[in-house]
Amino acid sequence: MTTAVLAHDRIKDFDWAPSYVPGSTRYPTKFKIPGKTKDPFRTLVREYLSMEQEKDERQYGALEDVLSRTGAAARSDRGWMEALKLVLPMLVYAEYGAMKNMAQLVETVDNPELRQGYLTQALDEQRHVNQELYLLRHFARHAEDSEGFDRGMRVRGSNVFGRASRCCFENYFVNDPIESAITLSVVTETAYTNPLFVPLTEVAAFNGDDVTPGVFLSIQSDEARHMANGYSTLAAVLSVDENLPLAQEAFDRAFWCQHAFLDPLLGALYMYFTPQRINYVEKWQEWIVDDWVSGYIAKLERFGLKIPKHFAHAAERLQWLPHTAAMVGAATWPFHWWRFPGLDERGMEWMEQQFPGWHAIYGSFWEGYRALQDPKAGMIPFQAFPAAPPLCRVCAMPTVFPHPGAPTARVVEHAGRLHAFCSQPCQEIFDNCPERYLQMRAFDEIFDGWGLDEYIVKNGLLRADGRTLVAQPHVDDTKPMWTIDDIAKLGVEIVDPLRVLAAQNAGAADDSAAPTDGSEG
Amino acid sequence: MAADATAKAPRDFTYITPRRRRVSEYEAVNLYGQPSIDGGWDIDPGMLRTPEGRPAWRVESTRLRHPDWFDFRDPSQLWQRTFTKLQAEQERSIERATEDAVAEGTFEDFDPVWLQEMARHYRVWSFVEWGLFRAVFSASRECLTDALSAAFTFEAFDRLRHAQDVVHYLLAIETAMPSFSDAGAKEVWLTDPVYQPLRELVERLMHVTDDWAEVAVVLNLVFDPIATETAVSRLIGRHAPLHGDGVTPAIVRTTERDRRRNRAWTEELVRMVTAAEVPSASANREIVSGWIESWTPAVVAATELLGAVHARFPQRSAEFSDLLKAVLSAQPDLHIDAEVGA
Repeated sequence: MTTAVLAHDRIKDFDWAPSYVPGSTRYPTKFKIPGKTKDPFRTLVREYLSMEQEKDERQYGALEDVLSRTGAAARSDRGWMEALKLVLPMLVYAEYGAMKNMAQLVETVDNPELRQGYLTQALDEQRHVNQELYLLRHFARHAEDSEGFDRGMRVRGSNVFGRASRCCFENYFVNDPIESAITLSVVTETAYTNPLFVPLTEVAAFNGDDVTPGVFLSIQSDEARHMANGYSTLAAVLSVDENLPLAQEAFDRAFWCQHAFLDPLLGALYMYFTPQRINYVEKWQEWIVDDWVSGYIAKLERFGLKIPKHFAHAAERLQWLPHTAAMVGAATWPFHWWRFPGLDERGMEWMEQQFPGWHAIYGSFWEGYRALQDPKAGMIPFQAFPAAPPLCRVCAMPTVFPHPGAPTARVVEHAGRLHAFCSQPCQEIFDNCPERYLQMRAFDEIFDGWGLDEYIVKNGLLRADGRTLVAQPHVDDTKPMWTIDDIAKLGVEIVDPLRVLAAQNAGAADDSAAPTDGSEG
Repeated sequence: MAADATAKAPRDFTYITPRRRRVSEYEAVNLYGQPSIDGGWDIDPGMLRTPEGRPAWRVESTRLRHPDWFDFRDPSQLWQRTFTKLQAEQERSIERATEDAVAEGTFEDFDPVWLQEMARHYRVWSFVEWGLFRAVFSASRECLTDALSAAFTFEAFDRLRHAQDVVHYLLAIETAMPSFSDAGAKEVWLTDPVYQPLRELVERLMHVTDDWAEVAVVLNLVFDPIATETAVSRLIGRHAPLHGDGVTPAIVRTTERDRRRNRAWTEELVRMVTAAEVPSASANREIVSGWIESWTPAVVAATELLGAVHARFPQRSAEFSDLLKAVLSAQPDLHIDAEVGA
């Protein structure tokens, strides 16, 4: 036996069953955990440190040296910079949640072979948090329009999409710890880090951003080990027969929760912010269908695990999700900490060519968007809609998907309160465990009754001059910029649609002396 | 107009109140990754709940109270890049020292009884470090700010590093001297009466102590300064040269460096929660003092039993009772009263 194998065998023998105190049950799980499994992670501390130091030196060395001195950030496409303003603060929370997941698994999975893998992954996640915040700060210092990079972390918790991202990523550690591990490692890290990090680096490079690819490729190089952690955790869980139905249900929910936020987000980022677009649906086919489903999940079939229950539904609605998300994001542009570029004729042609039928659904919106870019127009696209849709109680996204012409939204009453859902799977997830969602306050429940101008001022969304908005409906500095005075003139108020609906229902009930709210449950 | 607006941009993170004049790299890459427990500008400490109904973070995860946990700064200012660099360098120094010892046949010069103690006592300590790694890693999950989370995560990594280094080192000796074996050390850890009170303490920290601040205070201000200082620094580090062993102290010194760092951040945590301007400073001071007072006698009693290890050494620098006295008199002075009264 080599010394490396001997060292590893001895290191695996560190754990012991406590005899002076009962074992801890800090993070209870409904799954049965076997005591033995294969160790996926034969990297010991010593090799790990050396490997990561080398990666850090390459990546930070480039950032500190050539890329800073040559002004690489300022040469990047302006729309792409806005996409990064949006996504980086959200991703930081995903990494942070992953770190917390590891610190829970070390308690729950009573298996010494996996424990050191969990700590090493936790340090990787700390690495990614630090890398992404470093990158944000790099752009805050060097991007042509830095405002937004300087405060994304501050405002993400009060933004409608920022809150949806938190909801998505809290599934990594605020749940049964094994279901969290399935969500993080089996779904996000194995399925979604590829369509996230790989096209992100491609799109960045297409759009003149030489800074981001180095950081994200370095992050992605840690992910293979995380996938191995996830696979081994799942294999351990599935080696106990009675876990299979629980694991399948957890897998079904985990996939849907990640799909519900990540697919609209990523699709909108890659197709609506830059002149060099990539077709996200094609990338999804490549990474999620061909690679994840046909490769990875096929391997899990021997344990009895099947493709997530709502996979076909997700694939079907994917066609329109990113477009609808982009439309909602653009319609609400003054609410955000990033600028939302419009679509020019070329962009609209690309959309129709790639997604036949696109123009009939979204064409008039984007034409209108262009017409409303100048503050003199005196209107924002948000005002063109009769009412804001309520937000989903499970994924926190607006209930307008897959597209406004064919919404799958529903509103139900539970425990004396109305709850909206974007889709049947989100409602199913709620019904399975409403306790997970009942304390959640939707964006429009928090800010109900606020003027849009008040929201912008109080949430720090004005530029250093104290009057120009950070957000703008374009990325062209030669065009006029919207100020808080322009917004105040609009008289837009944030309204909680569920409060309005509840009031209407109460009124209808009074009129007819019978409940006619059409709700279920 | 656009040019004017962007010309005055802050060009740095606007949401961090820097400890010094400018936002440091450490502050920029660590702070506000975690939402604040009292809502603050993050609105909610967490949006979802577990099936049992708990949120992401809970104010009751510690008995200590502070109006803003995000005030915490680790005095070492380490973040992942600088931590990894530091520890990679320490590991390389250990690897080189071990390689040289193998090449030079140094292990042959070690006193045979000393070698037995390396296989027994030093190897037992790898189990202690493993248990403490588990305790610290759990604390990292529940603490109420990202800067503390980083300090806990790094400390967990320190402890895993120490545990693994003992194994690597003894394996190098075994490779050089096939007669050497550390087999049986786990049994010693599990059954030898000398180590049982220590094991009970480690198990309490691993499985029972749910307050993350208590884990930090007990571990870094009581357990390490008394038990680890005695078992590793005094018994191994200082006695090695008396037994022809000039190699092991180089490994021990890297762990002492880590311990000083971990003690410093824990002292900073105590200073922060007992500072005069903190409304619950007085209650916090009593809680911290209570932890120290309630754990210290058991840690001292468990450490006293290590006199049996000392008694087996062929060469001794001092009586064990004097050695322990010196360790206890060097316990960190927390200055809690002075801070609160200031």
